[in-house]
Amino acid sequence: MRISEEAMFRWVVIVGIAAASVIALTLLTTPLVGAIWGLALVGAGAVHAYRWWQGRP
Amino acid sequence: MESASVALGHVEEHHGPPEANQSSRVDRQTLGILLFIVSEIMLFGAFFAAYFFLRIVVDPPTWPPDPYELPVAVAGINTAILVSSSFTVHYALESIRRGNRNGLKLGLVLTWLLGATFLFIQLNEYAHIGFSARDLGFGSIFYGLTGLHGAHVFVGLMLLSFATIRAFRGHFGPAAKDHLGVEVPGIYWHFVDVMWIVVYTTVYIL
Repeated sequence: MRISEEAMFRWVVIVGIAAASVIALTLLTTPLVGAIWGLALVGAGAVHAYRWWQGRP
Repeated sequence: MESASVALGHVEEHHGPPEANQSSRVDRQTLGILLFIVSEIMLFGAFFAAYFFLRIVVDPPTWPPDPYELPVAVAGINTAILVSSSFTVHYALESIRRGNRNGLKLGLVLTWLLGATFLFIQLNEYAHIGFSARDLGFGSIFYGLTGLHGAHVFVGLMLLSFATIRAFRGHFGPAAKDHLGVEVPGIYWHFVDVMWIVVYTTVYIL
C-alpha cells in the first residue's frame, strides 16, 4: 500500500466512473435498479480497497 | 568539548536529540491525514445511516416528499466543477514533482477558484431551494449531509489557501519531503471530492 495524492486521485477517477454508471442506470431504469448496481459496486470497491491496502494489484 | 572531539579526530555532525524511530511505512503527516480521513468516513457514514433510515425504514410515499424538488441539473454542474478541481490539484502536484513552480501555482489557484465556485453555487442553491432544515426529516437530512460536506469544502479551501500562499512565497520543491504541504491538502481535497460524488449520487439521483 502506498498512500499518496496520486493514489487518492486514482480513487476519485474510480469512484467517478462508478457513480456515472449508477447515474446512467438510474436514469435509464428505476432508482431501485441503480441502487442495487451501486451496492454491487460498493462491494467490488471494498474488495479492491482491501487488496490495495494489502499491497496487491 | 568540541575542541576535544576535533583533537581526537572525530567531528560530531549531528546536534540535538536523535531522530525519532519510524517503524511505519508511512510518514507521520500522511498517516495523520489518513487516520483523519478514516474518522471522517465514519462521520459521513452516520449521516448516510440516518438518510437511509428515513428513506427505507420510514418509507415516505414519494422521495423527495411532495411538494419538494431537488435541483438535480444545477447540482450536477456543481459536481462537474468539484471533480474537475481534483484534476487541477493533481496537475499542481505533478508540476512541482517536475520542478515546475508556475504549474504548481496555476494548479493551486484554479483548484481554489473551482472549490470556491462550488461552495458559492451550493449556498445559492440553499437560498432558492424552497425548504429549510426544519421541513420534515427530509429537510434535516438534506441540509445535514450537504452542509456537512460543504463544511469540509470550506476546510479544504482553508488548507489550499495556506498551500497557495506558501507556493507564491517560493516554498516547496520537487523532492517528496519538500512538497508535503501540498500533498496532504491534496489528499484531503480528493477525499472531499469522492464524498461529494457519493452524496450527489445518493441524495440527488437515487
